[in-house]
Amino acid sequence: MTVIVSVTGGKGGTGKSFVATNLAYYLSKNLPDKRLVLADLDVEAPNDHILLGVKRLEAEEDVDIFFPKIDYSKCTSCGACVKACDTGAIIMAGGRPPFVFPRLCSGCWACYYVCPYKAISSGGRRTLAKSYATPVELDGARFTLVTGILREGEEHTPPAIIRVKRRALGLEPDILLVDTGAGTGSGITVAIHYSVLIIAVTEPTPMGAHDLDAILQVADGLETPAWVVINRSGIGPEEILGEVIARHKSVERVYRIPYSRTVIESYVRGDPILHYKPSDPGATALRRVAGDLLEVVKSMLRRG
Amino acid sequence: MVEQVEIVVASGKGGVGKSTLTSVLAVELAKRGVKLVAADADAEAPNLSITLGVREWDSVEPYYEGRIAYIREDLCTQCGICKEVCPLDAVEVVDEKHVINQWICEGCLTCSLACPEKAIRFIFRVEAGSIMVKRETGYGFPLVSSTIRPGRPNSGKLVTEVKNKAKTLLAGVGFILVDAAAGIGCQVISSLTGAKIAVLVAEPTPASLSDLKRIHLLTRHFMVAPALVVNKYDINPEGLEDILDYAGREDIPVLGMIPYDDTVPKAASTGKPLNIAYPESPAAKAMVEVAEKVAEEILVDWRKWYSRYRPKRPAPYIPRIK
Repeated sequence: MTVIVSVTGGKGGTGKSFVATNLAYYLSKNLPDKRLVLADLDVEAPNDHILLGVKRLEAEEDVDIFFPKIDYSKCTSCGACVKACDTGAIIMAGGRPPFVFPRLCSGCWACYYVCPYKAISSGGRRTLAKSYATPVELDGARFTLVTGILREGEEHTPPAIIRVKRRALGLEPDILLVDTGAGTGSGITVAIHYSVLIIAVTEPTPMGAHDLDAILQVADGLETPAWVVINRSGIGPEEILGEVIARHKSVERVYRIPYSRTVIESYVRGDPILHYKPSDPGATALRRVAGDLLEVVKSMLRRG
Repeated sequence: MVEQVEIVVASGKGGVGKSTLTSVLAVELAKRGVKLVAADADAEAPNLSITLGVREWDSVEPYYEGRIAYIREDLCTQCGICKEVCPLDAVEVVDEKHVINQWICEGCLTCSLACPEKAIRFIFRVEAGSIMVKRETGYGFPLVSSTIRPGRPNSGKLVTEVKNKAKTLLAGVGFILVDAAAGIGCQVISSLTGAKIAVLVAEPTPASLSDLKRIHLLTRHFMVAPALVVNKYDINPEGLEDILDYAGREDIPVLGMIPYDDTVPKAASTGKPLNIAYPESPAAKAMVEVAEKVAEEILVDWRKWYSRYRPKRPAPYIPRIK
């Protein structure tokens, strides 16, 4: 069994990738005999490799989804596939046989199952994204970074995310640390599904509070405990975050990471702050989150 | 033809200042007599109403979209086919029974078509969110926003509805200022579809530059003319050089550079846009200068601007099918 922990937050730019890369470094360094995978499931704007100073992503694979290829010798233009298609990707114009718009197709297989004449082949595929599995070694920490990169112009993010996540799980890690993109839609719920813990990174602004509220609704709904990390603590009033946190039963713990220029330095250098400047106040605060997470993960791994 | 021109503020990376800049642009452009409607195109994390200080809406309409599947326990034989075919792994086994997680299911029909027992049914017309309108923000323009229920798919469709609403409210010639979501996915694609000009916001960090390149490629794809605003330009001189080099190479005009300024995160708490809350702050002044440039160089004759800066190397979408 893999222990899955997800770093998310709703709002963009609150420091999700900053927290996730540091947690990956810390957990791996302190659990040298456990296999850890960090999955960058922000397939629209993946940055974990940059924050880790990874120069080249490795082991590239296509992320493919099903694509209906119609055998027109079997197709009777009955229109069942058009009706079954949830995304409007299949049209029949002027009584002509069905035609598929590739970009609209989410690869869900509904048309394949509905076709009474077995006119749709099971072998068609469309490449939505690329995925990578890159070994990362940093001062005693060793883990694999799995990265998903959506092709520019593709809009079906969730099917790409689920496949990159499956690749990460396929490496059979003891611990899977998931880093999600911004937002609160199905692309995020798919990424954090099956987590034992959600780490919600936010900032002390009304925008951070608004989006934290949305992501904690997800945590409540998935019945997954959540830790809230208030990043850049001190840049604005925090009462409003407190009100949001009090409304959600999923929240177990709250942490604060003070605003620090050193964080930006570490971010720009591609060196996790827990490695780059462990004595920095930002690093000290983050280490509390990492240390507590280490204990939780250890006890989960013991339980099996 | 009624001419309504869409200007999109986008960035790829989240949290670089899109909503702050959009609110300052909207207020300053309206002040200069530009007829516009502001539209928040991030249904998953809508923040433009917060940076504008809008707290109450004139209208809130429910938005219905999609289906959610569920399994009728009395008909299910626990064969597990639905779990195998679900494209999003939404089918879970809880206490030896198959159930569909409603936070994951997007409502495609696949499981119901594959189920030999016809045990899968749907909740139709899911109330997936709402569309909100403020006819007068207090700054001389209306705002359209929306919110989607967490976990629901297709927020891009809702963004298209928001833009349509904005067009109706504009009622004739004018501009729609669109505050896009982070990323390059379905919400951003809906934002860029039909737009003419994109104001791309970036920070001088390697991560932001990487995301800028991706959103820039999308503007080439949708034939949108890009312009660049560098936010927090002074936090990393080397990164600034990299971003300006990229803009120079790609012929992206730079509209302005905003300094790091701690009034920015505080402004939202005052319930006012940055340029109203802290008009003397360096970031507010720099953003007002950007607005002046937008008014005087772009909007005064947007066609001329567009023909100068529209993508010279379009990047059409080519599907990769095997």
